[in-house]
Amino acid sequence: MVKVLWALTVNTFRETIRDKLLYSLVGFAALVIAASLLAGSVSLGQDVRVFQNFGLTAILVFQLVITLFIGTQLLSREIERKTALLVLSKPISREMFYLGKFLGLALTLTVTGVIMGLIFLILVFAKTGAVSPAALFAVIFIILEVWLLTAVGMLFGGMTSPLASAVYTFCLALIGHASTTIWILAQRSGSVVRGILEFIYYIFPNLEKFNLRNDVVFNLTPEPIQIGMALLYFTAYTSAILLIGLAIFRRHEF
Amino acid sequence: MLALLPMLQLKNLNKSFNEKVIDNLTLAIPSGQVFGFLGPNGAGKTTTVKMIVGLLFPDSGSIKLDKLPAGSLAAKRLTGFMPESPQFYSHLSAKEVLEFVGTIFGLERPLLADRTKTLLQKVGLADSAKLSVRQFSKGMLQRLSFAVALINEPKLLVLDEPLDGLDPLGRLDFKKLLLNLKKTGVTIFLSSHILADVAEICDSVSIINRGRILKSGTPKALTGSRFVSLEEMFVETIRQDG
Repeated sequence: MVKVLWALTVNTFRETIRDKLLYSLVGFAALVIAASLLAGSVSLGQDVRVFQNFGLTAILVFQLVITLFIGTQLLSREIERKTALLVLSKPISREMFYLGKFLGLALTLTVTGVIMGLIFLILVFAKTGAVSPAALFAVIFIILEVWLLTAVGMLFGGMTSPLASAVYTFCLALIGHASTTIWILAQRSGSVVRGILEFIYYIFPNLEKFNLRNDVVFNLTPEPIQIGMALLYFTAYTSAILLIGLAIFRRHEF
Repeated sequence: MLALLPMLQLKNLNKSFNEKVIDNLTLAIPSGQVFGFLGPNGAGKTTTVKMIVGLLFPDSGSIKLDKLPAGSLAAKRLTGFMPESPQFYSHLSAKEVLEFVGTIFGLERPLLADRTKTLLQKVGLADSAKLSVRQFSKGMLQRLSFAVALINEPKLLVLDEPLDGLDPLGRLDFKKLLLNLKKTGVTIFLSSHILADVAEICDSVSIINRGRILKSGTPKALTGSRFVSLEEMFVETIRQDG
C-alpha cells in the first residue's frame, strides 16, 4: 500500500516538475526575493524590516500562484484528459489515488517553498548575520498554507473545471487572509450581518494563523502555543477538506 | 464443464444519464471465451465497459467478475483494460508507463522489469521503450495501451474499440496477438464496430442498440443462411430496431 501511494506521489511530483511554468515561476520568485533587498535599501532605517516583509510576501504570492496554476488544476485536468482512467481502472482505491495526488502536489510545493525559503534565509543571514526562528517558521507556515489551499483546490477540482477551481481557490485565499478584518467587522455589525460574517469567519480557512510576517519584522519569537495551535488548525482543516473532497471523488464517474 | 462457468456476469443492468443508456442488460460470458460486444455509436458499449471496470456505477443490477463484484479491488486485480482512445501521462516513457502500472498491481521489481521488456517486444514497441509517450502516434498509443492491459496477466481482458485508429498492418498484428492470447485461456470482452475483425476472433457475440441486447450467439449462428456476412446481419438487425 505504501509502495503504491509512493508511486502515485512520485508520479504526480514528476508530472508537476516537468511543467515549464513551474521553473519560470520559481526563477521569477528568486529574482523578486533578491530584489526585496533593493526595496529595503530605499527605506529610511527600516531596511531589514522592509526587506524581510517584502521577501516573505513574495514567497507567499509565488507559492500561491504555483498552487493556483499547477496545484488546483492537476486533478480536474486529469479528469478532463482522461489520464485518470489509466489508474482508476487498476486495483487502487479512489482514496489512495486522491491522497497520492495531494501528496505529490504537496511535495512539489515543499520543494519550491524550500528553494524560495533558502534564498530568502541566505539573504537574511547575509544582511543581518543571523536568522531568527520566526523567519524559519514563517517560511514553514507559508508551505503549510499552500498545502491547505491545495486540498481546497483539489476539492474544487473534483467538482468543476480547471479555471473555475483556480478562481474559487484564489477567492478563498483572499477571504482567508481577510479573516481578522471579517471578525472585527462582525463584532461591529447588527445581528443578521454579524451572523453571516461569523459564519464566513468560521467556515472559511483562517489563513492569518499562518502569517508570521509581523513576528519576523518586529523580531518577535513566536510562542510555542501559537505554533502548536496553528499546526493543530492546519491538521484539522486540511484533513476535513481532504475528507470532503474524497467523499465527492468517491462517487465521481469517468 | 469448469470452462463454461461465467467469468463475467451482468445481471439486469441499468444506467441513465438524463435518458436511459443501458436498459436491463443481462449477459454471461463463459471463462476462456472471446466475446464480441457489437453496436453502433451511442449504443451503450463504452458505458457497459466502464461499468465492468468500475469507472461508472450502475443505477441498478449487478456485475460479477469471477464471482467478485465489479469495481472491487479484487475484481480489478483480475482485469486488464484497454480504453477507447487511451491517454497516458505525457511525462512518462512507454517503459515508465508499464512500470508505473505494474507497481500499482504490486508486481515486484525483477518480475516487473522482465514483464515490461516482454510486453514491449510483444506489442512492437521495444525500440520506442524510452521514448516519451507524447511522441507516440495513435497506433503506438493503442499498442502501449494493450501492453498496459496485459501487465498483470489478467484472467479477463476488457477491450473497448481496440482496433480503432490502427492501420491495416497494425490491425493484422493486433488480431494475431488476440488469437495468441485466446490460446492461453484468457476471457476477452471485445467491444467493437469493426465487424469483419470481430467475426474472425470471437466465439460469441451480442448486438446492442439503445442499451438493449438485440441478438446473441456465435457469429456463424447469427449469420445463418440468411446473411452473407456478420456485417449484413448487423445492419439488418439495427435497421429493424429503428
